[in-house]
Amino acid sequence: MGDLTQVTIDFETSHLVFPTIIGIMLALLGLAILITRRHEIAHAGAHWRGVFDRMDKVRFLGTIGLTVLYFSLMVPVGNVWPNTGLGFLICSIPYVLLTGLLFMHDRRPRKTIPVVVTALVAPTLVWWLFTDLFFLTLP
Amino acid sequence: MEFFDLVTPLFLALIVGGTFVGVVFGAIPGMTATMAVAVCLPLTYSLGLENGLALLLGLYVGGISGGLVPAILLGIPGTPSSITTTFDGYPMSQKGEGEKALRIGICASFVGGIISLAALYLFAPALADFAIRFSYVEKFLIILFALTVMGALSNSMLLGIFSGFLGIFISLIGVYDISDGGNGEIRLVPPGTEYWLEGGFALLPVLIGLFGLAAILEEAERGVPEGHSADTVKLGKSSSFSFSVFRGQLVNLVRSSGIGTFVGILPGVGGSAASILAYSNAKTFSKKPESFGNGEPEGLMASEAGNNGLTGGALVPLLSLGIPGDSTTALLIGAFTLQGIQVGPLFIGNNPETWNAMIFAMVIANIAMFAMMYFAIRYFAMVVTVPKHVLFPIILMMCVIGAYTINYGIMFDVWTLLIFGLFGWLVVKLRLEVAPFIIGFILGPSAEVYFIKSLESFGDLTIFFTKSWIAMVLWVLIAGSVIGSVMLSRKRRTATEQPA
Repeated sequence: MGDLTQVTIDFETSHLVFPTIIGIMLALLGLAILITRRHEIAHAGAHWRGVFDRMDKVRFLGTIGLTVLYFSLMVPVGNVWPNTGLGFLICSIPYVLLTGLLFMHDRRPRKTIPVVVTALVAPTLVWWLFTDLFFLTLP
Repeated sequence: MEFFDLVTPLFLALIVGGTFVGVVFGAIPGMTATMAVAVCLPLTYSLGLENGLALLLGLYVGGISGGLVPAILLGIPGTPSSITTTFDGYPMSQKGEGEKALRIGICASFVGGIISLAALYLFAPALADFAIRFSYVEKFLIILFALTVMGALSNSMLLGIFSGFLGIFISLIGVYDISDGGNGEIRLVPPGTEYWLEGGFALLPVLIGLFGLAAILEEAERGVPEGHSADTVKLGKSSSFSFSVFRGQLVNLVRSSGIGTFVGILPGVGGSAASILAYSNAKTFSKKPESFGNGEPEGLMASEAGNNGLTGGALVPLLSLGIPGDSTTALLIGAFTLQGIQVGPLFIGNNPETWNAMIFAMVIANIAMFAMMYFAIRYFAMVVTVPKHVLFPIILMMCVIGAYTINYGIMFDVWTLLIFGLFGWLVVKLRLEVAPFIIGFILGPSAEVYFIKSLESFGDLTIFFTKSWIAMVLWVLIAGSVIGSVMLSRKRRTATEQPA
């Protein structure tokens, strides 16, 4: 019994010990979930169909799309004016405007004024605060 | 540095400002105290530790308290911890007693906050003094206990524990750090991504993604429902409130605050559990349980005292053991990390000024919350009408700032934010639990160090059982939480299978 419980950790491979144990625990827990929730898992297709049917696809996928575009453009735009944070400012204004318009339900011109004002003021204020006051790096 | 040197006008202004912003966040359905802390975290970079904590603690207290506004006026909990506030608060509002209900809730919140603060002040140093004696073995078992408690109190124990272990697994991605006694080797990193993942995923982008972006994605999925018009906000007559409503409610208030504080001390258990437990206890001990759910002030008091009781309680394990009591205090770990301070048993002893400043900040935050909400409740009530299409884009932008500036300008951290924002949305759909995941993610690297060092020192697995009486007590607690959860789940199943 004493030998069975004794463990020697080899320093060279010590980085793999804990991840392996956690991996095994996850596999065992996953198996237990699979067994105890087999009926639920068997009907997972219906669950996901329901999720996608109820989803506002335009707003959900639009948010993801705009966010990916925003993240992708920030650095290339910022590289045109390095160390100024202008990449953040130039990309944030249209991003805030477009997501605001995307989230709106009533897009009559008069109703969009607060969104336009926010899109201009908020990124400018944040850009000034972080670059001029806090001296933090922005793209 | 003397304590009074820390209490500057800026320090006080940050507490009051943080409380104000927190109340606004809490009052808007879909926005939480956790989100408020996540979004404002980057502002603490240049503030220093005490001033940064002043802001974040104000946000925490305000965010939890603000949830009562939509819960009472619209029947929609502003934060998950306000669920039971809707049970009696909303019926009161429908009877034209909206303002009275709000003021009752505000007073009860204040009492809950102050009682939990007293518990924090008394228990955290004592627990920290005790925890200093812990070796790696006991420290590892404490983390294991935290994970099993979280699993046991989740909707499904298996899914809760799985979420916790998944958090640990993801936290291990990257280098086994030499500064932690590791060998400096990389693991769990897919080929080709070593450049980005060598240091693993940074904590704060993960937190901001899970609590900021994921919440907005959920709202987007639901079509970002329009805010409520001013006509739907029914406050009623301001004259109907009187402090006499609290006559005979001292036991209820103290018991509910105590329950909230105790639930807060349990790692990873959210405010919703605190308010539900406090509410159900108040109903059990009430002389008129039949009136609960129909606008009974007693129920409203229990709910609000319970959820604000959480605020001090959740800081007890954080400041004494380094284990967050809930998701918002998990974010506070981020604030400490930013300033290079490690929370754990030595924190209070080594940083008495910071400790005192935190307690002071919590007292001021509670007073500020009470003063601004009690006297300006008519204005705060209008916050529920603020359009989300104006607020959400700003929050998204602040999330980006937070992620980008955390490591002084690494774009991969911004992509981490998106990855974990999507992951946070998916977790809910898969019925996994976010709180155990995040606590596993935060504590994973420490768990690894404690586990490996224990084995390197003793070379025997039995050491986890035989090291000390504390280890044995912890095993009893671990077994108790698992057995308790299994019994609770069976009881629930039997109850649902029985015909009505």
